Amino acid sequence: MSSRNVLYKWSIDDKPVKVDKWDGTALKNSLDDSAKKVLVDKMGFIESHHLMDGRLIICTIAVAFAMFALVWDYLKPFPLSRPILIICVLAYFILMAILTVYTSYREKGIFLVALDKDAAGVDPDNVWTVSSYLKKYDDIYHLIIDYKDGKKRGLRTANFKHSVAKFFDDNGVLSYEIYENELKLLINSLMSEKKDK
Amino acid sequence: MALFEMDFLDDVRRMNKRQLYYQVLNFAMIVSSALMIWKGLMVVTGSESPIVVVLSGSMEPAFYRGDLLFLTNYKDEPIRAGDIVVFKVEGRDIPIVHRVLKVHEKKNGSVKFLTKGDNNSVDDRGLYAPGQLWLQKKDVVGRARGFVPYVGIVTILMNDYPKLKYAILVCLGLFVLIHRE
Repeated sequence: MSSRNVLYKWSIDDKPVKVDKWDGTALKNSLDDSAKKVLVDKMGFIESHHLMDGRLIICTIAVAFAMFALVWDYLKPFPLSRPILIICVLAYFILMAILTVYTSYREKGIFLVALDKDAAGVDPDNVWTVSSYLKKYDDIYHLIIDYKDGKKRGLRTANFKHSVAKFFDDNGVLSYEIYENELKLLINSLMSEKKDK
Repeated sequence: MALFEMDFLDDVRRMNKRQLYYQVLNFAMIVSSALMIWKGLMVVTGSESPIVVVLSGSMEPAFYRGDLLFLTNYKDEPIRAGDIVVFKVEGRDIPIVHRVLKVHEKKNGSVKFLTKGDNNSVDDRGLYAPGQLWLQKKDVVGRARGFVPYVGIVTILMNDYPKLKYAILVCLGLFVLIHRE
């Protein structure tokens, strides 16, 4: 079997999404994924990964410090390894603090930054920033879209809040169409504002 | 292929490569956090094993099997008769927790001492490496500073049934890897 064939079998983009409807994180994740699908796959915007990459880099460095401490302590048993251990432990916990700050002040629940590239490649990109939150033990899903026009440099925001029951049936199967319609309404309202001005 | 029919893998199968990598990182960070807390305690207490579990009844009634001990090993604190020390003996994997019985100190700072379990009828010379009569400072892992009764019984169970330990670890690991955030 070729690797392409295995990947094809592994990928399940077409399979309807079914989640445990009492699991808030799973609900939020699948709705967020759908928003990504609409903006990136359907509308053809380019996803910008820099926010996620930032988090990955911080985590990778932190884990690298921990692994280095482990190996160093193994090679030079404890009293000798003390100075290096102090550095690694401090670096690790500082990086964890940075990660917390990064996720709560930089990412702020943003799960997608999509770029609407100018066809001619002359003007700056229009930027769509999508974030969402679903409070614990709450059924109201909040979606916020920030739209930055590349040319006019104006920032516009639109949002909706709906109970997750609107998008999922009793068995926890996601209705992608309903979600897509809601999202399209939001996107169109932002687009049309653009034309008004 | 049975693997492709299982629903619980859906989350993982929908991930892109960044999310998959983050999933692995997330797992690594849980392990790293535990590791760094342990190493941090080592640095603060000066002991290579700052927390130990009492595995035998040789120190009853002071400590029972399963008690959790906190150790410190500061270089400038002298060892005195009556202290409870944790020490390693060559050829034994597991450190021993016993009380110091006799101490000899020389002017040049070298120390040798003898230990005995409170519940044992003889001193520890039978437990030391063949021909060894005294312990030295380098053998000490730390001195007991505090204890939490019975908590360590989990560790004893894990050690007695290694399969249980690996089963639990594998289950937790898989759960973290498969479950999304």
